[in-house]
Amino acid sequence: MADALLAVLQRPNFLTFVIIFLWGFYIMVTRYNLVKKLIGMYLVQTSVIFFLVSISAKKGATLPVLLSTTEPVQAASYANPLPHVLTLTAIVVGVATTGVGLALCGAIYRKYGSLDEQEILEKLE
Amino acid sequence: MSHQLPAILFLLPLFAAISMPVVCLKHRHWSHPIAVAILAAMVLVSILNLQNVIHHGEVRYVFSGWTVPLGIEWVADGLASVIIVLLNAVCLLCVVFTGPTSPKDLGGRIVHYYTLILLLVSSTTGIVFAGDLFNLFVFLEVAAISSYALIGVAGGRALFAAFRYLILGTLGASLYLLGVSYLYAVTGTLNMSDMVDKLPLLLNSKAVLGGLLFMFIGLGIKMALVPFHSWLPEAYTYAPDSISPILASLVTKVALLAWVRIIYWVFNASSIINDVPILLLVEVVGTLAAVIGASLALAQRNIKMMFAYGGISHIGIILIGISQGNPTGFAGGVFYLLNDSVMQAGLFFLAGMAFYQYGVRTIDDMGRVGKQAPWLTGSLIVMALGMIGLPPTGGFFGKWYIILGALEAGNYVSVAAVLLSTLLTLAYFVRLFEAIFSQTSTRLDVQSGEIPLSFKLTLGVTSAAIMILGLFSSPIIQLLLSQALPPTL
Repeated sequence: MADALLAVLQRPNFLTFVIIFLWGFYIMVTRYNLVKKLIGMYLVQTSVIFFLVSISAKKGATLPVLLSTTEPVQAASYANPLPHVLTLTAIVVGVATTGVGLALCGAIYRKYGSLDEQEILEKLE
Repeated sequence: MSHQLPAILFLLPLFAAISMPVVCLKHRHWSHPIAVAILAAMVLVSILNLQNVIHHGEVRYVFSGWTVPLGIEWVADGLASVIIVLLNAVCLLCVVFTGPTSPKDLGGRIVHYYTLILLLVSSTTGIVFAGDLFNLFVFLEVAAISSYALIGVAGGRALFAAFRYLILGTLGASLYLLGVSYLYAVTGTLNMSDMVDKLPLLLNSKAVLGGLLFMFIGLGIKMALVPFHSWLPEAYTYAPDSISPILASLVTKVALLAWVRIIYWVFNASSIINDVPILLLVEVVGTLAAVIGASLALAQRNIKMMFAYGGISHIGIILIGISQGNPTGFAGGVFYLLNDSVMQAGLFFLAGMAFYQYGVRTIDDMGRVGKQAPWLTGSLIVMALGMIGLPPTGGFFGKWYIILGALEAGNYVSVAAVLLSTLLTLAYFVRLFEAIFSQTSTRLDVQSGEIPLSFKLTLGVTSAAIMILGLFSSPIIQLLLSQALPPTL
């Protein structure tokens, strides 16, 4: 048990990911306000993006720009650039989803005059 | 030229989607013929692509010349090529169907509708061909975003259903991305064929198992697998009638296909990862989905809702076929997927036509139509035969091969689940027919008028396709067995 705890504390990035993910998930499940649900959803997306970036970090490594063009490339001295590229795409996807979500929220508010899930469900009955 | 076909299949609808709002800014009525022309061209190109793949083997398309572990690759193999032909044909029918209904149904947002449909088609092409796990994620999200927007496009009650779908779908996508990043962290690659070489040494890793399970849950939400299906019935029921068929026949099926790719083409599916037998897990979930989906369908009164739950149970049946781990079951599962795509489109055409023409939404209303509607009743009989799985429809042969595969693997529980789901399907169609043929209910007083040609055409073609898929099941199954099997079977 203590070992597991220590192992977790040595990887604060994983711990942070788990906290943000569960926090976002909790907001999505428990809040009735649709915009708050969207905020929770955005936190979940962000946590996964954070996880993806954090696995590319290396100790003592620098930017993925070649220091010298003549010597053979030492992979250990550069941070991994691929997760950053993936992250950019994932952020774009996240922004698009949030945009559609906000547009839907706006349309729901104009139609039902409320953003509260329970009030809307009452009006739907 | 012929090796460019997969890229053409993607770029054609994408550019059409981008240029649609500009071209149709002044002339809104152009959007329908343009979309029909583009999709007809897609069907043609995908048939050419299938022919090319059958004669010359699979096409590996590498984008911008970056070779495999570095660049993004598309794989047009037998499975992808067969499925893309069918999906494009079904899309073409869906767009033909919407000709008369869409202006009334969508509140004048016709150009938005066709733009989003073309975007959805291009992203499903991407999902089917993708040979890279992250590329797959991007296309899954493009397809998902266009379907959220499509459901909400006409406003009304569908807005709330679309919002729920958006929340759950994004959670699914995030879980899928999390799974991909686990696998990337362990293997250092995202390319499927590259990952195949690196995974066998890592099968005892908990990260691989975790990644696979996160992907399964994420794609499970997207394909409306039973514990995660709650978004689907409302979204498909309240979506405009012109939109339900295309969503029902496309969106869940491509997510299922992505899962098939991952378990068979990335992982060797028969292997046991960290003491967890993946195929058995899929089979159990499939069994639950097949039975629970069909039982829930039995409890519905709204016909669109009933068909939506029927679709959920069919996802389970396809998963049962896929998870038997032998060629017969796999080919049966894929064949049933093709059939299900046609049947779902047909059923939602029927529901849309019933509302547009006769104002029918529930089973009780169906009784008032009675025998006044030969097109409705006739095509409903054919589709019911297909859904229940009676010969000579394609549904029968799909279930037949799935059951043969299950017997071959000795999984009698799967056989029982398929049979039970068939009985439940029979039960809910019997309810529908009972309502139609009972003479007690009052007649429809609304005079319905002439049925538009596009309704007759789409209902006729889908009914015929269900029969033709059955009559030509043997060559199609042979084609799947010789061209579309994963390398490990």
